[in-house]
Amino acid sequence: MLFSLHFSPPPVIAPLPFKPLSHVPHYHHTLNMLPSTHVLKPPLCSTMEHFTLNHHGKGGGEEEEEEEEEEVDQTLPLGLRREAMPRHVAVIMDGNRRWARSRDLPVRSGYEAGARSLRTIVELCCKWGIKVLSVFAFSSDNWFRPKVEVELLMSLFERGMQEDTSIFLRENIRISVIGDLAKLPEALQELILNLEETTKNNTHFQLIVAVSYSGQYDVVQACQRLALKAKHGLVEPGDIDTSLIEQELETNCSEFPHPDLLIRTSGEFRISNFMLWQLAYTELFFAQSLWPDFGEAELLKALLAFQQRRRRYGG
Amino acid sequence: MKSLTPPLLRCLCLNRSMDFIRPKRMLYFWIDKIRNVLLRLSWHLVHSIINLCYFTTGMVHALESHLISRGLLRKYKSLHISKIRYLAIVIESEDACRTSNVIELLQWLAALGIKHVSLYDNEGLLKKSKDIILEKFDGAVLFQDTHENNVLLDQPRMTLEFVSFYDGKEAVARAANVLLMKYIKSGGIGSNQGEQIFTESQMSEALKTVGSGGPEPDLLLIYGPARCHLGFPAWRMRYTEIQHMGPLTCMTYGSLIKAIYRFTTVRQNYGK
Repeated sequence: MLFSLHFSPPPVIAPLPFKPLSHVPHYHHTLNMLPSTHVLKPPLCSTMEHFTLNHHGKGGGEEEEEEEEEEVDQTLPLGLRREAMPRHVAVIMDGNRRWARSRDLPVRSGYEAGARSLRTIVELCCKWGIKVLSVFAFSSDNWFRPKVEVELLMSLFERGMQEDTSIFLRENIRISVIGDLAKLPEALQELILNLEETTKNNTHFQLIVAVSYSGQYDVVQACQRLALKAKHGLVEPGDIDTSLIEQELETNCSEFPHPDLLIRTSGEFRISNFMLWQLAYTELFFAQSLWPDFGEAELLKALLAFQQRRRRYGG
Repeated sequence: MKSLTPPLLRCLCLNRSMDFIRPKRMLYFWIDKIRNVLLRLSWHLVHSIINLCYFTTGMVHALESHLISRGLLRKYKSLHISKIRYLAIVIESEDACRTSNVIELLQWLAALGIKHVSLYDNEGLLKKSKDIILEKFDGAVLFQDTHENNVLLDQPRMTLEFVSFYDGKEAVARAANVLLMKYIKSGGIGSNQGEQIFTESQMSEALKTVGSGGPEPDLLLIYGPARCHLGFPAWRMRYTEIQHMGPLTCMTYGSLIKAIYRFTTVRQNYGK
């Protein structure tokens, strides 16, 4: 199958005023979640700053004398169209253990690298106008992993939530955690409840973390909630339909409960019991890189592929 | 000589500076123009290179598919077909009326030894055409929901299942109603918040009761422009490998073999 790739042409940079060096670019929203090391961007990912200058002057030498208003658009990489950005992106973060094994590192290092990768992706999603990011952090099947590994993951969740609380508050990020939380350690359950409560009014971006989650569990718990409602006379038996079930799914905590794009890393081509109901018309993108290596370039590739494909919504 | 009055002096200086400013502005203007032209040229060059890369990749894939079809690539000659117990095919509704393509695909699968195939399209057009398909493709029997999975595999002929959106989310809603009726009849035991009323296996049983309890496919092939499964019964897709094959009209035997080969090399941990 032959492909064609279309990037939108670069904008024409408006002629600079008489004093080009006096213009200082502004960045709209930068999260300071990362340590000071900065990853060099490959050429294709180089961002272009769009700025327009409103000239209030009438021309001639008076321009340099007058104040110039600067409007700075939010930075998008070359080729991405803001109007075609997915509102909700879901990610299956696969490959942490393989990443560690390939470097002769302990499994812990793989998960820590994965956490850093998650911070990068959250920052990019905020910057590029994606409203919701769902991540499959811990599946209900993962409880069958070695106890040491499970305890390590729980401690990493706890530490990550504690360390990043201030960032979530500062950057107006809402945190929602979905899954069978009753199986988690009590301290972690309490931390999650507090974090959700503290950030529930944040509106800039929502991060949904699926922990102890499975797609089948989500559907069953939705049916359970409906059964309880029916017991209390709120729902008539026999009246359950797809829209009632949708309202009770755990992803209903979001304004955009259905992902537009699902990314799975590490080259595996399956959804592994993640958001089974919600992914009916979601564009699937299977990335070859392992999750700790999934960065800006790979996210850009996924978004470009998303923007190029036609989506039919069953029509 | 008249001495220069301050206003005259000022005017002279202004004229001289204006004379200096105009060429400089022209210079900046032309620098910007040239820079824009160079930028656009380099963008077009990058775009052309990338398109050429994609074209070359497409040609390579087409050639590979042709070689696979001819049996010239040793790697694809022996497939471990037994690894695929159940195969699902998702077809865009626009292409679902192309029964000749569908039958050709089924014939390829039958030749490879696939025992159970679920054919899905969102609107149920394949279901409506099932009599025609079964008549023209006489190598299959219709899937009965009452079949146990091991019975399916023992069938000498291929078992064909026709699935639509009715068997997906709508079936789950019907199954939920079945569970709810049972729950109410039992008096609502375990009715406290947080207690488990239903289990996943109960939902699976309820789905069989409403006639939508087919097996979980090992591999799902999507024939359509979009890489999404278009509402295939999600309850059955937990660990299904998904391969996007492109439009049905572009299907090739080689790409089918390649997708099956890729599946046979996959190793799943199932989360463990």
